[in-house]
Amino acid sequence: MQPIGADEAAPSAVPLTVQQVPTARRRRLPGLPLWLRLLLSNPKSRMGLMIVFGMFAVGVLAPWLATHDPTAYSLLDAKQSPSWNHFFGTTDQGTDIWSQVVWGTRNSLFLGFAAATLATVLAATLGILAAYCGGWVDDLINFATNVFLVIPTIPLLIVTSSYLKSRGSLSMVLILGLTLWAFEARILRAQALTLRNRDFILAARVAGEPTWRIVVYELMPNMISRIAAAFVLVFYISLLTAAGLQFLGLGDMNSQSWGVTLYWAQVNSAVLQGEWWPFLFPGVALALTVLGLVLILAGLDEVSNPRLRKPPKQGRGMISGLFLGHGRAK
Amino acid sequence: MSAVATKPLLELDQVSVDYVLADRRVRAVDNVSLSIAQGEILGLAGESGCGKSTLAGAVLQILKPPAEVSGGRILFQGQDLVAMSREQLRRVRWRHVSLVFQSAMNVLNPVMRVGDQFVDMFKAHDRIRKSDALARAGDLLELVGIDRGRVRSYPHELSGGMRQRVVIAMALALEPELIVMDEPTTALDVVVQREILQELEVLKQRLGFAVLFITHDLSLLVEFSDRIAIMYAGEIVESAPSDVLFRHARHPYTNGLMSSFPPLSGPIVPLTGIPGSPPDLAKPPSGCRFHPRCPQCTGIDSSLHRLQISERPVLREIDAGHQVACHWVEGP
Amino acid sequence: MRWLLRRCCFYVFALWVAVTLNFLLPRLMPGDPAGGMLARMSSAQIASNPGIIETYRRMLGGGDQSLLEAYFSYLGQIGRLDFGISTSNYPTNVSEVIGRTLPYSIFLVGVAFILAFVIGTTIGMVAAWRRGGTVDNVVVPTMLALGAFPAFFTSLVAVYFFGLKLGWFPLQHAYDTELTPGFNYAFLESAFRHAQLPIIVITLAFAGGWVLNMRTVMINTIEEDYVAMAEAKGLPDRRVMTRYAGRNAILPPLNGFAAQFAGAVGGLVFIEFVFSYPGAGFTLQQAALGSDYPLTQGLLLVFAVCVIVANFVMDLLNVVLDPRVRTA
Repeated sequence: MQPIGADEAAPSAVPLTVQQVPTARRRRLPGLPLWLRLLLSNPKSRMGLMIVFGMFAVGVLAPWLATHDPTAYSLLDAKQSPSWNHFFGTTDQGTDIWSQVVWGTRNSLFLGFAAATLATVLAATLGILAAYCGGWVDDLINFATNVFLVIPTIPLLIVTSSYLKSRGSLSMVLILGLTLWAFEARILRAQALTLRNRDFILAARVAGEPTWRIVVYELMPNMISRIAAAFVLVFYISLLTAAGLQFLGLGDMNSQSWGVTLYWAQVNSAVLQGEWWPFLFPGVALALTVLGLVLILAGLDEVSNPRLRKPPKQGRGMISGLFLGHGRAK
Repeated sequence: MSAVATKPLLELDQVSVDYVLADRRVRAVDNVSLSIAQGEILGLAGESGCGKSTLAGAVLQILKPPAEVSGGRILFQGQDLVAMSREQLRRVRWRHVSLVFQSAMNVLNPVMRVGDQFVDMFKAHDRIRKSDALARAGDLLELVGIDRGRVRSYPHELSGGMRQRVVIAMALALEPELIVMDEPTTALDVVVQREILQELEVLKQRLGFAVLFITHDLSLLVEFSDRIAIMYAGEIVESAPSDVLFRHARHPYTNGLMSSFPPLSGPIVPLTGIPGSPPDLAKPPSGCRFHPRCPQCTGIDSSLHRLQISERPVLREIDAGHQVACHWVEGP
Repeated sequence: MRWLLRRCCFYVFALWVAVTLNFLLPRLMPGDPAGGMLARMSSAQIASNPGIIETYRRMLGGGDQSLLEAYFSYLGQIGRLDFGISTSNYPTNVSEVIGRTLPYSIFLVGVAFILAFVIGTTIGMVAAWRRGGTVDNVVVPTMLALGAFPAFFTSLVAVYFFGLKLGWFPLQHAYDTELTPGFNYAFLESAFRHAQLPIIVITLAFAGGWVLNMRTVMINTIEEDYVAMAEAKGLPDRRVMTRYAGRNAILPPLNGFAAQFAGAVGGLVFIEFVFSYPGAGFTLQQAALGSDYPLTQGLLLVFAVCVIVANFVMDLLNVVLDPRVRTA
């Protein structure tokens, strides 16, 4: 029954919500999913994406960016600090560090990326399987996950690589991927569990959709942002871990990689001789890439938890100074 | 029942509260004026979202950004709370004005024993030894009908009704002059509801505090309070002593509310409702905010209709102690 | 209580998995680790200990026993805490080597990790309480940036600046090499001095993670009704931040502490390596490089046990700190 004189149809309930969703978007990026748009509009993750893409670009353009052959020795040029000839200086054997770092980008990024892919695929598959199937499958996978979480990864990796005769990229990727999946498997399982009980999944089951279809077409799309976050996390962890193993002398010592350069720097006691360049530059390259990934991760976190987004600037009303001055925003 | 002779305990003078959002301000409480005398129970009723809880928060000055008091004065015993410093406010809070929150479920710290939470409160306002504070906490629990041994319990070990009583006991602890109660019994079943209200009556007789009782359940107020104010879309639309309101409510909204609730006792009456829903306060209706839903806004009397859709009605006293803000009531 | 019991069972099981993994790994790798290792030992060493070939075959595979027999005798050895003889420290027992080096690591991790947790969560708590304040805008990003740098890198930088250039701290080792370990003042003082830089590095490197974690949880906790009630009661600001919000917010990070411990053990290896600090981590790395398999196996087991113990302690702490768990 419409009351007479209702010129404005009374709309929905009073929005006395105090949670602010960003309303002002300078660039509309139509067609992209919401989470991607939020990611791109967040300054933190934008910067992260720029850094990471920059690194990938360096890796791809390595043959053109490098000034010297990264394996060439020249005792004449040994131990030089940075100069125009050698942007990053030279090692104890006279190899150009700039070229090593530039070429090393390929290897390091590849190891990280490949290991992250393997680990994420494992984590997502096992996590979602465990959540969806429940019962003994869940228990088994849980047990495996917990065991892997309890056994310390670095010592395990150290021992495993010490058994390996050859430590080529493939073996490294395999052992990294097979040990780093546990952490994210637990988180993805938790998320899949909350989704599993949602109405749209139940509706699909009642409608008779086969399990695999439900998992791939209904469940997964809703978890994309979380899976992306998992991938980024494992990426930077495997970057660090791979570099770390190489640093300890347990990686493929014949390849060009940031960790390997650092290893030689340490073994030649560069630091103790006051030579800072052999370890600073590869270290900064590594740290920068990790920072970029961490920023992207922070952006992804804010996508899934709106409360973490930066509180909007408040208008300074005349009384606001007297309030509970935590500056906390709802 | 008139509190004119003595100075009112709490006086809200044209108070407005806004929610400041990135691109606009939404006025949740609009020029509200109220007063409560010592020892008086004032009921404040209205639908969800009409601004009652915001008003409660404003009285205790615990509103968080983006909500802020944008106008008016809140005078407690003559002093303006809005103009006070943080430290002054901290001293007024609880000792003189306390608040019973809406849902007791989550209002107690889950990792602290109940007694310790009382102790914290006592220590914040007084120099007192822990043992004395715990003893007083025990006394208070007994006052609200809970075994004093429960001082050592954790909140999750108590039932919902018990927790609400604990919260009431906390509100009484420092013997404030005014207690603001925001839907104190909504989450409880009717039996417990009645028990608690009866206990409150008794306590009020003993301790002499005033109460601002906020609820959407008008029937409770009619039985329990001395005066009632009805709130709609951020404004007070009617205020009167409760028996007067019950028998001679004038505002169409009040009447709509009254016929929406079955009373706690008495004969069975047919239920009606109020069509439509509360307005979006970001874009309130022009003129009288209730006019889209008002059965008295029919367009038959064109001059009245024009008033209703263009001018905001003002609270006017039509009888002793009885104020209404309504064009139709004021007559042609 | 039943929950604790279940956790215990899980830990025992995890330990068994670690032991079995140790047993299976060398056998799964291509090649013959025992043979390769024996080839590295001099004939004099082999001659002086006739049973050694058989011992290592049992441990690493390639012997004449069946897999199952080898497994049970392996379990027996582990049970007797007989990890064999360390080939790189011949003829010292593996257990002796571990006994010598483990205390240093425990000292380092014990102090530094706990410090990182305390400092990190405090910063996170304050940062969330005063969003947009100095701590939130300045300290948090700094700690995060520090944490983004790999631990070994931060150690190198620290050694370079504070050790070499500024000379504030000793550069390497756990104590002055002329001194002999013992409970005498000179040694303890030297040990303490040498431990300072590694501890500072670990704290700085790890605190960042705690900061972020605690801050996130705290931001959610602040929204809870009991925090609003505590403020309405007129409680002092700091008390609400610590006893009401903080005390509840710390429970999830505390559980994360246990999980992070495994990662901390890893980081420890790097830091000890950079400082040539003779703890269990440094020893592991040296052993791995030198293919001293008995030692690596023994150390892996010890590390696993440490992580399990730390996890268990955290579970106990959880029961103490969260009354809701006790009645569950």
